[in-house]
Amino acid sequence: MVGVIKSVVLVLASLIFAASVASAQNGAPAPRPDDDFSFMKMLSDKGVHDIDNEGWNAYGQFTYISSWKPAFNAPYTNLNGSINSLLPTAERSFTGTATLYLGARLWKGAEAYLVPELITEQPLSQLRGLGGAIQNFELQKGGATVPQVYRSRLFLKQTIGLGGKSNVEESGPLQLGTHYDSRRLVFVAGNFTILDFFDTNAFDIDPRQGFLGLGFMTYAAYDFASDARGYSYGGIAEFHWDDWAVRYGRITPPKQPNQLPVDFRLLKYYGDQTEVEHKHSIHGQEGMVRVLAYRNRENMGRFSDAISAFEADPAKNATTCTTFNYGSNNSTAPDLCWARKANIKEGVGGFVEQYVGHDIGVFARGMYSDGKTEVYAYTSTDRSATVGVLAKGTSWSRPKDLVGVGTNLGWISDIHAKYLGMGGIDGFVGDGAITAAVERSVDLFYSANFQKIYWLSGDYQHITDPGFNAARGPVNVFTVRIHGEF
Amino acid sequence: MASFKSIRGRVWPLLAALSVFGCFVTSADAQQQPSGFAVERFYQSAPGGGWFVMDDLDISGRLGGAISASSGYERNPLVITGPDGKQKLAVVSQEAFLDVGGSVTYDRFRAYVNIPMPLLVTGTSGTLGPYQFTAPYLTLGSSPDTVSDGRLGVDARLFGQPGDLIRLGAGAQLIFPSGNRADYVSDARYRGMFRFLAAGDAGAFRYAGQLGVHVRPLNDAPVPGSPNGNEFLYGISGGRTFAGPSGWAVIAGPEIFGETAFHSFFSGETGTEALLTGRLEQTGTEHNLRIKLGVGHALQQNFGAAQWRIVYGVELFGHK
Repeated sequence: MVGVIKSVVLVLASLIFAASVASAQNGAPAPRPDDDFSFMKMLSDKGVHDIDNEGWNAYGQFTYISSWKPAFNAPYTNLNGSINSLLPTAERSFTGTATLYLGARLWKGAEAYLVPELITEQPLSQLRGLGGAIQNFELQKGGATVPQVYRSRLFLKQTIGLGGKSNVEESGPLQLGTHYDSRRLVFVAGNFTILDFFDTNAFDIDPRQGFLGLGFMTYAAYDFASDARGYSYGGIAEFHWDDWAVRYGRITPPKQPNQLPVDFRLLKYYGDQTEVEHKHSIHGQEGMVRVLAYRNRENMGRFSDAISAFEADPAKNATTCTTFNYGSNNSTAPDLCWARKANIKEGVGGFVEQYVGHDIGVFARGMYSDGKTEVYAYTSTDRSATVGVLAKGTSWSRPKDLVGVGTNLGWISDIHAKYLGMGGIDGFVGDGAITAAVERSVDLFYSANFQKIYWLSGDYQHITDPGFNAARGPVNVFTVRIHGEF
Repeated sequence: MASFKSIRGRVWPLLAALSVFGCFVTSADAQQQPSGFAVERFYQSAPGGGWFVMDDLDISGRLGGAISASSGYERNPLVITGPDGKQKLAVVSQEAFLDVGGSVTYDRFRAYVNIPMPLLVTGTSGTLGPYQFTAPYLTLGSSPDTVSDGRLGVDARLFGQPGDLIRLGAGAQLIFPSGNRADYVSDARYRGMFRFLAAGDAGAFRYAGQLGVHVRPLNDAPVPGSPNGNEFLYGISGGRTFAGPSGWAVIAGPEIFGETAFHSFFSGETGTEALLTGRLEQTGTEHNLRIKLGVGHALQQNFGAAQWRIVYGVELFGHK
C-alpha cells in the first residue's frame, strides 16, 4: 500500500512538473507544534503559564524575503502609454515583516486578539504586470521601503459550545490554548483578514514557511473584499458539527479598488462569502474538502461598460478620467473610471487536501468568478486552479524542513481580455495590447529549519504568459527567505 | 508679422503680470508649513496601573498581568493663538482614540506595551502670521489600520508594599514612532520617558503622583503650539474608596497632570489638565476587573491639554 501511495505521489509530482497545472495555501499563521520553542512554551515549562488553558498568549515572527528577476523577453512594454507591464529588465524585490500576535481571554468562550505588524517592501515593477503569479504573497499595494507599523487585526471571537467531543486547540498565534466542543457556534467581529477563517492553510502550514507565490495563498480568483493590505472589518458566524463546518462572513470593501480607505456602509457595499467544510479520513489518512462561494457588491467598473463608454465617446478614454483611476497615459484605451457604479461580482470554488503518506500531502483548489468586473482587492485573475504537493523532511531526518512544488493557473474572461487588448488597465495588469493566454506559474521551494525557530528557504518560480499575455515572458524569479518565530 | 513695438506692448503687461504672480509666489513661499507632531499628552498609566495617568504601584505576587482597552474623545486638543493674541485656530479640534495594552508583572516589576490607535483626528486649516497650518483629516475609514506612537515600558516598586501609606517606584518608557506627523499622531522620532512614582493608601483614601522627564527630540520652536524639546512631567491624583460587597469598590477622585518644556519652563507650551475619575473595581481574586470613567478639562490649555475630554476603559488584571 505504501508503495502504491509513493507511486501516486511521484506521478502527481511528475504531472505537476510536466503539465504545469496549479496549487494553493494561506494567509493565517499556523499553530506552533509542541516541540517548537516559543516564549509561551518557555513560561509553561517554568510552571508559570498554563499553555493548555490560556488566559493570554503572545507570539511573534519576522520574515525577510528577497527576490531577483532576470531580464526577460518582451516585444513591447507599456504600449501606447498603458502602465501596467512587468518591466523586462532585471529587478530586485524584497519584503520585511515583523508581527506580534497578542491574545487574551475576556470571559468564558470569549477571545480577543490584537496584531500589530511592521512592513517594509519593494515590489517588482511597482506591483504591476502579474495576475495571480505575483511572486511574494507578503507584498502589499501601496507599500514602501520606509517601514510602516499598522494594526493588522483586532477582533473578538465568542465560542458557544454545543457538545460533542472535546477537541484540543493548541496555543499559537491567533489561538489561545483551550478545548472546544466539536459542536459549537463561533462568532467573530472586528478587524481581520477573511483568510484567517475562510480557505485556511493547507495542512496548517504557515505560509511564511511554505509557498512564496501569491496564487498559493488562496484562490487567485477569490477577489475577497479587503483594503490594500488585505484586511477588512466585519463579522463572521461559524457552525461546527463534528467533521462539518459552515461559515458565513460579511466584510468591508475599500472605498476605491485596491486602496487603503475602507467603506463602512456594510448595507450598501460589502463582500459576502460562505463556505462549507468537511474533514474526512481515507484509509487512515486525513483530508478535507471545502466549497466556497462569494458575492461582492462594490463600486466597481464592468469591462463591457468601460468599452461601451469609450466606443460611444472616445473622449472618455484613460487619460481623461475625472474620478479615481490608475493613471494610464493611453488616450486610445477605455478606462474603468468611466464605468464605476454599484456592481456585483460572484464566484464559486472548491478546495481539497489529502495526506497521502506520513507528512506528505497533496492539495488542489479552483475557482470560477464571473469575470465581468475589475479586480477590487486581490488579483486580476478571473478563474484559477492550483495543485501542489507539500512534504515535511521526516523521511530524511529533518522533520521541520518543508519542501513543496505546485503550479498555479489563471485565466481572464473574454471581455476582460478584450478590454486589456484595447489598451485598458485594471489594478495590476494591462500591457497596452494582449495575446490572451493562461498565466501559469510553477513554484518550487525548500525550507530548511535551523535552531528550531528559524527557516531558510530557497524558491524558484517560472512564470509563463505574465499578465495573461502570451506575447511576453516567460519570467524566472529566484527568491531567498529567512523566517523566525518566537 | 507683429511689429517690435506691438510685441513690446504685449511684453510689458506680461512682465507686470509675472511680477505680481512672482510676488504672490514669493509671499506664498514665505509661509511656513508646520509638519505636525504627536499632539496627545495624555499618557496612560500601564495596564493594571489603577488610575488613568498615575500609577498606584500595586505590583506584587508571582507572575501576573493585565490587559486593558480604553477609548476616549477630546475637544480642541490643539488650539493655536495668532501673533495678535486674539485670532485662534483649532488645528486639531477633535480627536478620538482606542488604546489597547498589556502588561506582565512579577514580584515588584512590570513590563508593558501600549498601542494607541487613532479613530478620528480632524481640525481646521488656516494661516496664523507666517505659519500656514494644515489640519489633519484622519478617520477610521480613511486610515483603517493606523497605529500611532506606541509605548514599551517597565516599572518597578522600589519601596513599600501594597496597602502601605507610602510606596515609591520608578519607570521608563520607550515611545516608538508610528503614523504620520501630518495626522498629528506622531513625532516620527523615538522618544523616552523616565518617571519617579509615588502612591499610597491611608484608610479609605488613596493618592498617587509622578515626576519625570519626557525625552522629546522634536523641537519645532518658534512655531506656536508645537513641542519645544524635552519636557518635564508632573501629576498627582487622590481619591476616596467606597467599599462594596464581594470585593467590589468604587474609587472616585481627581487626577491633575501635565507637561512643560525645559526650554520654556512653565511658560510657553505648558499643558495642564484635570480629570475627574471614577472607577469600579473588583480586587482580591486571581482575576480582577476594573471599569474606569473620566471627564477632563484643561487647566492650562496648550497642545495636548484638551478643552475637555471624556475617557473610559476596562482592565482585566491579576496574579498568581
